[in-house]
Amino acid sequence: MKIILNGRPIEAQPGQTIWNAARLAGVTIPSLCASPNLKPYGSCRLCLCEVDGQRGYPASCTTPVREGMVVRTDSAKLNQLRRNIIELYLSEQPEDALHASEQLRAYASQFGLQNIRYRRPKRRQYAVDSSNPFFSFDPNKCIACARCVRACDEIQGTFAIAMFGRGFESTVVAGNQVGFAASNCVSCGACVKECPTDALFEKAVAEFGKPDYVTRTTCAYCGVGCNFDVGMRGGRIVSMRPVDASPVNWGHACVKGRFGWDYIYSNERLRKPLQRVGDRWIEIEWDAAFAHIVDAFRRVKEQFGPDALAAVSSSRGTNEENYLMQKFMRATIGSNNVDNCARVCHSATVSGMMEVFGTWAATNSLTDIEQTKLLMVIGANPTEGHPVTGARIKRAIRRGAKLIVIDPRKIELCRYATLHLQLKPGTNVALFNGLAHVVVTEGLADRQFIAERTENYDAWWEVVQHYTPERVAEITGVPADLIRQAARLYATSGASMCAHGLGMTEHKYGSYGVMALCNLAILTGNVGRPGTGINPLRGQNNVQGSCDVGSLPIYFNAYQKLDDPLVREKFERITGRPLPQKKGWKTPEMWDAALAGKLRAMWIMGYDVAQTDPNLLKVRAALAKLEFLVVTDLFFNETCKYAHLVLPAASFVEKDGTFTNGERRIQRIRKVIEPLHGIIPDAEQILRVSAGLGYPMRYTHISEVMDEIAQLTPTMAGVCYDKLDDRFGLQWPVPARDHAGTGIMHTQQFPRGKAKFSAAEYLPPGETPTNDYPFTLVTGRVLHHYNCGAQTRHSKLLDFVNRDILEIHATDASELGITDGETVNVTSARATVQLPAVLSDRVPPGQLFTTFHFPDNNLNTLLSSSADVLSSCPEYKVLTVRVEKIAAKKRRASAVRARVLV
Amino acid sequence: MKVYIPDDSAAVSMGANRVAAAFATQPGIQVVRTSSRGAFFLEPLVEVDTPTGRAAYPNVTPASVPGLLRKKPTPISRIPFLAKQTRYTFANAGVTEPLSVEQYGFAALARAREMTPQQILDEVKKANLRGRGGAAFPAGVKWQTTADAPGQPKYIVANADEGDAGTYSDRMILEGDPYRLIEGMRIAGLAVGARQGFIYLRSEYPAALKKIRAAIARATEFGILGQDIFDLQVVVGAGAYICGEETALLESIEGKRGMVRFKPPFPAVEGLWGKPTVINNVITFATIPDIILRGAAWHASLGTATSKGTMPLQLAGQIRYAGLVEVPFGVTLEDVIYDFGGGLPRGCRFKAVQVGGPLGSIFPKNLLNTPICFDAFARAGGILGHGGIVVYDDQTDLVALARHLMEFTAAESCGKCTPCRIGSTRAKEILEAILDGDGTDADIALLNELGDTMKLGSLCALGGLAPMPVLTAMQYFGKEFRRRT
Repeated sequence: MKIILNGRPIEAQPGQTIWNAARLAGVTIPSLCASPNLKPYGSCRLCLCEVDGQRGYPASCTTPVREGMVVRTDSAKLNQLRRNIIELYLSEQPEDALHASEQLRAYASQFGLQNIRYRRPKRRQYAVDSSNPFFSFDPNKCIACARCVRACDEIQGTFAIAMFGRGFESTVVAGNQVGFAASNCVSCGACVKECPTDALFEKAVAEFGKPDYVTRTTCAYCGVGCNFDVGMRGGRIVSMRPVDASPVNWGHACVKGRFGWDYIYSNERLRKPLQRVGDRWIEIEWDAAFAHIVDAFRRVKEQFGPDALAAVSSSRGTNEENYLMQKFMRATIGSNNVDNCARVCHSATVSGMMEVFGTWAATNSLTDIEQTKLLMVIGANPTEGHPVTGARIKRAIRRGAKLIVIDPRKIELCRYATLHLQLKPGTNVALFNGLAHVVVTEGLADRQFIAERTENYDAWWEVVQHYTPERVAEITGVPADLIRQAARLYATSGASMCAHGLGMTEHKYGSYGVMALCNLAILTGNVGRPGTGINPLRGQNNVQGSCDVGSLPIYFNAYQKLDDPLVREKFERITGRPLPQKKGWKTPEMWDAALAGKLRAMWIMGYDVAQTDPNLLKVRAALAKLEFLVVTDLFFNETCKYAHLVLPAASFVEKDGTFTNGERRIQRIRKVIEPLHGIIPDAEQILRVSAGLGYPMRYTHISEVMDEIAQLTPTMAGVCYDKLDDRFGLQWPVPARDHAGTGIMHTQQFPRGKAKFSAAEYLPPGETPTNDYPFTLVTGRVLHHYNCGAQTRHSKLLDFVNRDILEIHATDASELGITDGETVNVTSARATVQLPAVLSDRVPPGQLFTTFHFPDNNLNTLLSSSADVLSSCPEYKVLTVRVEKIAAKKRRASAVRARVLV
Repeated sequence: MKVYIPDDSAAVSMGANRVAAAFATQPGIQVVRTSSRGAFFLEPLVEVDTPTGRAAYPNVTPASVPGLLRKKPTPISRIPFLAKQTRYTFANAGVTEPLSVEQYGFAALARAREMTPQQILDEVKKANLRGRGGAAFPAGVKWQTTADAPGQPKYIVANADEGDAGTYSDRMILEGDPYRLIEGMRIAGLAVGARQGFIYLRSEYPAALKKIRAAIARATEFGILGQDIFDLQVVVGAGAYICGEETALLESIEGKRGMVRFKPPFPAVEGLWGKPTVINNVITFATIPDIILRGAAWHASLGTATSKGTMPLQLAGQIRYAGLVEVPFGVTLEDVIYDFGGGLPRGCRFKAVQVGGPLGSIFPKNLLNTPICFDAFARAGGILGHGGIVVYDDQTDLVALARHLMEFTAAESCGKCTPCRIGSTRAKEILEAILDGDGTDADIALLNELGDTMKLGSLCALGGLAPMPVLTAMQYFGKEFRRRT
């Protein structure tokens, strides 16, 4: 429709407000309380306008457009009203004129406000709340427009802050007037971003000033891949603001991405290469470091052959770095011994989805959450692990989508769930078979989809027909009735979408669990349509991409087979060298090889294996046995302790490249500052060593690495930096240059043609509780930390959580005589660690939960080497232990900062 | 012998319970507690049956009870204050027992059940019934909008948050004739297809709460209400005036802070929990049964060209006969004050009158010829509001009154929009300065401009009307303000 705005016709959409229609047409109507990200509210009254045929001065931010409406937003009267409103605002702020926010002062001058006529006005008098480590709240600057409150409600869905008091006394309070730090605020920063008067203000901006300019980049934390504008002031990063237009994070962020970038400037960053000399570390020059690596690698290769070397690259690194590392191993060294940290998280997703669909990635997009009718969240805790997606899920629920949570633990999302299936850890396969059983026996299967798009149904049903809800209830502990209800909801919603995390994959039969889940999707036709699909929530920022670009021991890029002659020819044309055919070692196999003396030298980049891999005592023994270990990392991590040479890494703001998020979206990261301390970025480190070993790889810009990847990778054939730069990245498959990317996969057919029903029998996990080890311990993450904590432990995020805790049910704690906060011994068949116990009803009796963010616990020494039988993904999620009190005098005393967010 | 004694809160405050107790000890006396006729200046008003109808003893005290009945009572028809009124909505006032289903009858509901929903809607529209809460919006149009709006379920909400100082007509219905409200809401439910209703009651009406709860329970026993028929619940407010504003009221029912919503969308389309909702004042609903029984034409025959039917006015302040006056629209303000109200008490001289509660304009003597009519009041720069009339005598300090009224707004502002949130406090401060003899001409100019900003810029009627008493007081009694500066 059209409306006439200030005499000019503009385009408007039904349902839009005048303010929004004007904004999109490039006309700014003065306002403080309106936001394109929030529902209309109508507080500040600055946006008043005149509408022909309508009495008075309606607020343009709340008045819907009508066809042909004639609107004026500028007149002497409107200007007078606006001036008077700004005068009212300024009259309540503390007397110091400079105290007023820039925006109020700007409006004052715009509307011609000379002086404030109120002679002895009562003013706002509140204490400033600086309790949050990243932002402060000055209620004296607050104009009670509630944008922050609305942002917390509508965008984040945490409801941590509220308006308090009436009339003149209206102000914003956090929690039950406890201040931000002590409230249930998750520090996502949505309120700070919305605040129009800087009452909520970032501490970094307060310290260093508002940004002069911004550069677009992608977050380096989880696999959501949020887009940020990095704000720069005087050559320093001062802020990271989420991008409103981004389809990934729609202007939202979490505490880590928004504020937890301060590790970049940590004094503990590695600055210079370090060489071990006896028990000491000495700083050496970069050239000397490269020469040293070249010598060591050459020596090992000549003496023991190329397969005595291995590299592990990082899912936190760029696609380009991962590609270069595998190219280095294959072409320069001549071995397929290259893997990346995706091995320990979503490798089972890949093997499971490969089997059923013939693909290895999320079938749908994050925007599909807006369209789905039912979400099934399995083995994932999005509000902590993937907070922006968690907030998006909560939004979907508020608009009416249903939610089924399948998790042994009562995670935050359970509060909003229609059903919570609290299964025993390690029983996924049985549960999904049971759900499928109900779907089939109650006649809810999508027979047309099965007939047209799938195969192997009968063989699958042979197996699954035995998984009656009653039998499955016995295995999983989930009541049969709940299984039936869940199956009905999932099968009949019209568009059901699965999102899963590591609670699906990190099991002995993780790949089979993924298959069982995929079977359920094809059984009900919930693939290939908007709001459906199987969507792994990727843990690290580039888990998807590091595998896509071939940093895997048994595949080339995009899972092309090592022994396919056509593929080999293609690759060898690029490398100009024959490539090795023998399959390489997966990471866990590398440890066996090192212990056996077969693996002698390694390069580990951005992956703290000595903290995060399972069965740590074994891993450490393997590392200690290496003749030569070089580690590239931001900080001196646990693995560095076993290294012979340590290279500092460049952080994500110090280099160009791309990350691929969990929805297959390849996105740019951009160099916004020169690498600190003269650090040579990771990609260049590989090039320098490769050149030293006689295989120079020549690229004039990192974008050429992507061009090469595109040539070799059918799913990414159309990807290049120019195309990535002019939009929010590209979702592969991008088969050609003129292709816009793929939001929803498998709409017509599956990569393997028809989807294949793949039966799997339930088998018990690697360990089941015994008298000696009666508890099942599950590990996971918390909101404020990220995996091994390499970044977050060097951030003010520590102010929130400074160590791992053990969640234990009160019943178990009281039986063992353990009090809240007491440090206890946790013992497995491998080792004993000490953790402070926190009573929590998130875990059921008999189960425990802890995180693995802090190395001093040595948590993963508890774990065995048990892993997924197909993908070698470690069985982190099922570990049997016992819990014991520690004699009082042996207890470690330390201040514990921890939050159980529910 | 039956003795009728009101149990209305106003009557009770005048001693009706003590009088009833005194009668209870008299032999052969059966005390029947009725509602009040609203002639509060006569309370406790004790009535008996006579061959020509009810007759009454005014201002009875417990001490006067023995032997009272030997005196000759005054027939109700001979009490001018009552006899001159046109009682429809308050026809049962002082006559019936509030909780007697048999006496009430629910005849209108029976009639409405024989009609189609559209017939009911048409009847209400033809009657031209305008909302009695203050906004005077045509009820039929509102109902039709809700009936036509997509979205289920639909709700019926009665606004019983009667917060205007000096008003009590809602309370009298709630305490004295609760079935009339229930019947009106029930008929609205039939008309728009709603099966659930809420009565939002101010917390300051504990007797009304008890009565309406008991009435709902009785009506449920009689199959008039019920979960499968029409589920009616009472929600008690928490003492905020703003919750009488319909959207803040809806927020409050939803369990949120009483904050005003912007409109549109109007509650008729997106109301309670975002669903189509009929929200009307108690008196509006209480007028419905008569419209259904007597017909739209009857209703439209009463009143002025644009304000149809009767209006229960509530007299208070410096007036001789304080009480409820139900008259057809069109009677002048002067007639109401002097004819019904008997003018000011002896020795008092009229100075000003405020109609429509604390947000109503202050009218001087020369506006007393304004007829009781929504549009006539609007043309005169005022509001009829909920029908509260407070008379001030010449001892009244209008600056102090203006300050008091602005303090009320400042205390009751929900704080959502700037003109009301800050403006009401600023206006109060200026009035305080003037009152302290510290005001300037510039202050008066500023007060006028601020009033204009509040009137034109506020989100809801509270902020929009709050400056009206001050602006009109300055307009008509400007000297008093200037003299202080």
